[in-house]
Amino acid sequence: MTDVVRTGFRPSRIAIYGVLLLACLVYLIPLIIMLITSFKTPMDIRTGNLLALPTDWTVMGWTKAWSEACTGVQCEGVRGFFWNSFKMTVPAVLISTLLGAFNGYVLSKWKFKGSDLMFGMLLFGCFVPFQVVLLPMAATLGKLGLANTTAGLVLVHVIYGVAFTTLFFRNYYVAVPDALVKAARLDGAGFFTIFFRILLPLSTPIFMVSLIWQFTQIWNDFLFGVVFASGDSQPITVALNNLVNTSTGVKEYNVDMAAAMIAALPTLVVYIVAGKYFIRGLTAGSVKG
Amino acid sequence: MSQLELRDIRKTYAGALDETLKGINIDIASGEFLTLVGPSGCGKSTLMNSIAGLETITGGSIVVDGKDISGMEPKDRDIAMVFQSYALYPTMSVRENIAFGLKIRGMPKEEIRQEVERVADLLQISPLLDKKPSRLSGGQQQRVAMGRALARRPKIYLFDEPLSNLDAKLRVEMRTEIKKLHQRLKTTIVYVTHDQIEAMTLADRIAVLKDGELQQLGTPKEVYDTPENLFVASFMGSPSMSFIDVTVERSDTGLSVTVEGSDGRTLALPVPEYLENWAGNRVVLGIRPEHISQPDEQKRDNMMVEEGRFTVEVTEPTGPDVIAVIRLNGIDVQCRLDAEHPVEWGEDAELMFDMRKVVFFDPQSEKRIRPQ
Amino acid sequence: MEHIQRRPTGVARASSGLMDGLQRWLPKLVVAPTFILIGIGIYGYMLWTGVLSFTNSSFLPSYDFVGLAQYAKLMESERWLVASRNLAIFGGLFIGICLLIGVVLAIFLDQRIRQEGAIRTIYLYPMALSMIVTGTVWRWILNPSLGLEKLMHDWGWTSFSFDWLVDSDFAIYTIVMAAVWQASGFVMALFLAGLRGVDSSIMRAARVDGASLPVIYWKIILPSLRPVFFSSVMVLAHIAIKSFDLVMAMTSGGPGYSTDLPAVFMYAHTFTRGQMGLGSASAMLMLGAILALLVPYLYSELREKRHD
Repeated sequence: MTDVVRTGFRPSRIAIYGVLLLACLVYLIPLIIMLITSFKTPMDIRTGNLLALPTDWTVMGWTKAWSEACTGVQCEGVRGFFWNSFKMTVPAVLISTLLGAFNGYVLSKWKFKGSDLMFGMLLFGCFVPFQVVLLPMAATLGKLGLANTTAGLVLVHVIYGVAFTTLFFRNYYVAVPDALVKAARLDGAGFFTIFFRILLPLSTPIFMVSLIWQFTQIWNDFLFGVVFASGDSQPITVALNNLVNTSTGVKEYNVDMAAAMIAALPTLVVYIVAGKYFIRGLTAGSVKG
Repeated sequence: MSQLELRDIRKTYAGALDETLKGINIDIASGEFLTLVGPSGCGKSTLMNSIAGLETITGGSIVVDGKDISGMEPKDRDIAMVFQSYALYPTMSVRENIAFGLKIRGMPKEEIRQEVERVADLLQISPLLDKKPSRLSGGQQQRVAMGRALARRPKIYLFDEPLSNLDAKLRVEMRTEIKKLHQRLKTTIVYVTHDQIEAMTLADRIAVLKDGELQQLGTPKEVYDTPENLFVASFMGSPSMSFIDVTVERSDTGLSVTVEGSDGRTLALPVPEYLENWAGNRVVLGIRPEHISQPDEQKRDNMMVEEGRFTVEVTEPTGPDVIAVIRLNGIDVQCRLDAEHPVEWGEDAELMFDMRKVVFFDPQSEKRIRPQ
Repeated sequence: MEHIQRRPTGVARASSGLMDGLQRWLPKLVVAPTFILIGIGIYGYMLWTGVLSFTNSSFLPSYDFVGLAQYAKLMESERWLVASRNLAIFGGLFIGICLLIGVVLAIFLDQRIRQEGAIRTIYLYPMALSMIVTGTVWRWILNPSLGLEKLMHDWGWTSFSFDWLVDSDFAIYTIVMAAVWQASGFVMALFLAGLRGVDSSIMRAARVDGASLPVIYWKIILPSLRPVFFSSVMVLAHIAIKSFDLVMAMTSGGPGYSTDLPAVFMYAHTFTRGQMGLGSASAMLMLGAILALLVPYLYSELREKRHD
C-alpha cells in the first residue's frame, strides 16, 4: 500500500503531519493532566489550571492515595486493593490462558463430533453481555462460599475469559499445517506429546497475546469486581471508583489522579513493554472466526 | 519388506451424501512401487490417509503381511509417510526431526545417532543436520522429509505428492533420486501424484482413480497402451490422446473408418478385424500424437499404415519434436513430427497414420473395445 | 540392502487397547471442563436470568411467576426509557465518531509517515486503561469550576463556560467524549491493519488509470474494507451496550438518572434497589439487542467463510 505515495507534494504532506501530531496531543493530554495534577498541592490545583505545571512538585498525592485515602468507610489508601488485583489477575490470567491453549489445540487439531458446535458456543459467548449472568453467578458464588473472595473473582474471570483465550489459540493453531500433526502421529506421538513437543514450541507469540489481553481485561475489569467483591477483596478499579466518589471531606484531585495513575500503571507498563502483542490481541479479538 | 492388500475399502465422510471411496481393491506386492494417480478430488489422498490410519475407513479392510490393521492407531501400523508440505517440525533441527520418531519409540541414544547418520549419508544431508528446516531450500527439505521416513525402517512408505512443491527442474532430479532409492532399498511404496509423467516414470504399477473408483490397475505400459476407458486414456499421456467420432465401414480391403479434414479432404484409415461386430456403428477412435507423424519409408508397406494430406492449423515446437495440430471430423488432433521435418501452419503436410496401436472405445459405455 | 533386516522395536508396540481408548477420549476430556464451565456459566445462567425475568423477585430470587409483568413495567419505566434513549445517543455518536476518526487517522498514517510506530503507540494507549481511570481523568478535565473552563479563563477566554458534566441535558455527551478518546485509536488500528492488507497492485492499477489519491481511497480502498468496517461496528456496538464502568466513574448515572445506560439500570435495580425481576428483564433486553446485531453478523461471516 505505502510504496505508491511517493509523488505527494509538500503542502499536503505538511497537512497530514499536522493532523497526525494534533491527534497525538489530544490523546496524550489527559495522561499529562493526570500526571501533573497528581504532583500538585491542593493549593496549586485551586490557583493554577489543568495544564499549569506544579509550583511545588510533591508526592503527597501519591503517598496519600497509596496508604491514607478513604475508599468508602476505611481510610487505608488503595495499597491493599492494588495487591488484591494482583492476587486476582495473576492466577486468572494463567489458568484461562492454559485452558485456552488446550482447548484451541483440541478444537483445531483433534476435531470431534460436536467440536464445531462447541466452537460456535464459545464464539457466541464472547459477545454475550455479562449482565445476563451476573445474578445467577452471584447466587452460585454465595452457595459455594466464594462470595466476596478473591478465589471467587478468579473463577469468574476464568469462566468469562476462556472463550477469548480459546479463540486466540484455536485461530492460531488452525494456521499450523495439519500435516505436522499427522506426521507426528505416524512418528508415534500421542495427544500430549504432539502438544508439548510440536505445537507449544511454536506458540510463544500467541501466548504473549493471550497473557497480555487477559491481563489488561482482568486488571481493568470493574463490573465483576463491583458485583462479586466487597470490602477487603475488592480490586483496584472498584477502590479507585470508591475513592473518587467518596463525598466526605474536601475533594483532593491530586489524590484522585495519583490513585488513577496507580490503577493504570500496570497495564500501561505492559502496553509500553509489549504493545505489539497487545495490538495483535485487540485485532484478533475483534476479527474472530 | 511387506505386502499390502486393500480389500474393498470404503469411506463416507460424516454428513456427506456420496462415498469418497467406493470399494477399492488393490494388492501391492512386497517391494513394489505403486503410484495412485487421478485428478484432484478422486479420493487418492483419502485412500492414502486411510492406509496410514489418519482417517478411519467405513468399510473393507487394510491388510499388511496377512494382518488386518484397519482398526489400529497410526503409530502402531509401522507405516511412514512423506507429505506434500514436508511437514518438518519447524522448531527442531534436521537431526531432531529425523530422530523424533525413534526417540518416541524408545530407541537408545547411541542407536538413534547411528541411524540418523546412516540416513543422512544415504540422502546426502549430513552437512544440514544441525540446521532448522526454515533455513533449507525446498529440495533439501524434501530430502529431510524422506530421511525422517527412512529412519524408522517401516513396513510401508507412503508418499503424498512429495514433489509437487518443487520447481520443474528439481522435480525431475528428485524423481530420479526416488527411483534410485527404491531400486536400491526395494521398499514397498505407495506414491500419490496427480502428475501422470511422475506416475509413469516411477511406478512398477499404476492405479488410476476417479470419483472414488479404481479405473485401471496395471504397469505403466499397460495403462498407456491399453487404457480401460476414455478417462484413463485421456488422463495418461501428454499431449493427450485425441478422440475422434467415427463409423466403422466394411470395404473390399477390410474394415476402415473415414476421417475428414477441415478443407473437406477425406481419408479412409484401416482398422483391426476385431471391430467386425461394430461394422456400421459409431465408435470413438483414440489416437495418440505419436501415431501420426511424417511419412516413414520403412512403415509404408504395412497394411495398417495410411498416408494423407491435411492442413496444419498450429505448430508447437517442443525441441525434440514438433506437435502439429490438424482438424479431423471437427476436432483438433495432435500429431508428433520430427523437429527436422518442415511443417508450416496454414500449409498442407503429408502425414502417416500408424493404426497399429490406436484404441477404440464404445461411445455408450466409454469402455475400450477389446480384441476378442 | 540396508533395509533387509528389520530392527526389533517392540517397546512402543506393546501399547494396550486401554491406552488407545484413553488416547481417543483425551481430546474430549481436555475440553470437558471448559464445556461445563461455559455451558453453565454462560448458557445455563442466561436461561436462569430469563426465568427470573418472569418472576417478581425482589431482594432475593423468588419463583412466583408473573408472566411479562416485569417487561411491561420496564416499558413504562421513565428511567428505562431514558437509559434506552441514552444508549441510542451514546451508541450512535460513539460508533460514528470513532469510525470517522479511526478511518481518517488510519489513512493519514498509511502515507509513509516517519515515526509511525511511535504515533500508533500514542493513539492506542488509552485502550490499555481501565474505563474507571478514563472516567476519573475526564471527570477532572471536565470539572465545571477547576477544569477546562478554568484553563480557558486563564488563557484569556473569560466568557468560556463548560458545565456539561452537571447538566442533565448534556452530561451524556461528556461520556461520548471520553469513550471516543478511549476507543478511536483502536478503530484506527483495525483500519490500518486492513489498509496494509489491500493488494498494492490495486493502487498502482488505479493510478495508471489516472485516479487521484482521494478518489482511489473513496471509491476503491474503503469499499474493499467493508469487513473491517463491519467488525469495527460490531465491537464498538458491543462496547456501547455493555458500557457501565465509564458512566459509573464519570457521573454514576447522574445528574439524577440522566446518564443512565441499560447496563447501569440493570446494576442499580438488581443489586442496590432490590428489584431483581426488573433487573433480569432489562438484562434480557440487552441480550436481545446484542443478538439482533450479532446474528446477522455471524451469519454473513460464516457464509463468507463457506464461499472461500
